[in-house]
Amino acid sequence: MSEKQLSRAMAGVAAIAGVGHSDWIADYAAVRGGTKPHDSFGYGAIAFKRALEDAGIDKSEIDGLVSGPPTAHERMCEVLGIDPRWGVQADAMMGIQAAALAIHGGMCEVVALVYGNDQRSAAVNYGGSNAAGGNAFLSYIYHAPWGFTSQGALYAIMLRRFMHDTGFSERDMAEVAVAQRLHSSLNPHAIMQKRITIEDYLASHYVTEPLHLFDYCLINDGGVAFIMMSAERARRCKKKPAVIHGIGRYDLSREATSLTPRLTNFYRPAQKAVAEQAFGMAGIGPKDVSCMQVYDSFSVHVPLALEGYGYCGYGEAARFIRETGISLERGIPVNTSGGHLSESYMQGWNHQVEAVRQIRGECGPRQVPDCRFVHYSSDVAGKALSIIYGH
Amino acid sequence: MSDGRIFIEPVPTAETEAFWAGTAEGRFLVRRCRSCGKAHWYPRTICPFCSSDETEWVEGTGEGTIYSFSIMRRAKPNYVMAYVTLTEGPTMMTNIVDCDPESLRIGDAVRVTYVKTAEGRALPMFTPKSEASA
Ligand SMILES: [Zn+2]
Repeated sequence: MSEKQLSRAMAGVAAIAGVGHSDWIADYAAVRGGTKPHDSFGYGAIAFKRALEDAGIDKSEIDGLVSGPPTAHERMCEVLGIDPRWGVQADAMMGIQAAALAIHGGMCEVVALVYGNDQRSAAVNYGGSNAAGGNAFLSYIYHAPWGFTSQGALYAIMLRRFMHDTGFSERDMAEVAVAQRLHSSLNPHAIMQKRITIEDYLASHYVTEPLHLFDYCLINDGGVAFIMMSAERARRCKKKPAVIHGIGRYDLSREATSLTPRLTNFYRPAQKAVAEQAFGMAGIGPKDVSCMQVYDSFSVHVPLALEGYGYCGYGEAARFIRETGISLERGIPVNTSGGHLSESYMQGWNHQVEAVRQIRGECGPRQVPDCRFVHYSSDVAGKALSIIYGH
Repeated sequence: MSDGRIFIEPVPTAETEAFWAGTAEGRFLVRRCRSCGKAHWYPRTICPFCSSDETEWVEGTGEGTIYSFSIMRRAKPNYVMAYVTLTEGPTMMTNIVDCDPESLRIGDAVRVTYVKTAEGRALPMFTPKSEASA
């Protein structure tokens, strides 16, 4: 990566001007009670309406749409009632990158990024031989005969090796779930608000050992939307914008089915390249980051991100968590909303909402004081991506 | 050996048909590249390292070491998934069977064994060398 030209052209170009989401708590209760408040499009539409209100703009200003993976793009346009001049279907990270480029390139001016997912009420299966598109991701087909049919199995095997190599312990792992529950207990939108202790974690049952119940993300229905535009235009909107100062992406797809990038390399080569790109673009380093939002389908993403992005050295995550800290009480707070483990499982979309709210200073009792830069990282399915938000 | 587990059947493809035919005969075949000399997993026609199509089946030793593993506690009966590094070089996803899961350690030497599926395929799994020889 070092021989490649690192561009700063996208630094400070685009910003998030508005965010919105569905009522995760109420919908979680409704679905558990056997009713289904909305389908994926409905959740997205509710979030979209709230994001427009949050930005203080009219729907007529939207001329670009990123729609999330579960919803057909054309149908989402129809449900939202818009005829955009630019659009793409993408996950949160690729969508943000694409939208920022589209705005920079003049293909559109105001992009709505909309995600809706009825995964809980529709009983979407994230385990089994056809989980998460088994035919598309070969690994599930290849490894299913051996009972390796879930992301949990992958991260359990990864964590066991990480513990072996670095001395990371189950007690260290517990710190992630405990910190995120502290954060969600201060978040009125979080589904899980009851605090837990290290002892609660250690006493909880294993699912795929060494992963405990509390290492797993929630599965819930919901929607998230945000509105992106040029930073200049966003500064004229109702609320303070969250400006994108850095973006980076690097894929480790060779040997994806063999699982080498994750199980053997712990994403490290990709994270290293992304750190150079994203921090380089923003002109900052990990020491300048006020809080992190980490894609946490499993808690193990957190120590891997701390090491991979240079918050500490390889093999030092346990010491960093113990001595520096990852909670609002001390150190660098990670997943200040509670993240996927405790707030809502919106596949990285809800982390952007929290990043924006932290930059704006809207987070009340869980507000990070003097929040200057927020680092979002997402390391899943062979792709490492990061965004640096700031003022 | 399989403790009543029901296995998802493997789906042989043009690239892996010979591998599954091999396991049915108790042979552990590994795909190797004649051009760069490296073995790879999963078996492919095009070498993932040098893109050569000069790949061939060779008899594997059926031996390796545990790179990492996880005990699936959610399933009854429990089973042990493991990522095993073959002596030929590549690492593969498999299971450790005929073992005491609590005593398994990363780095343990293991040897291939075959477990029959309902449709009669033979799944290559591994067992600790020390216990297998006992
Ligand atoms: Zn080769």
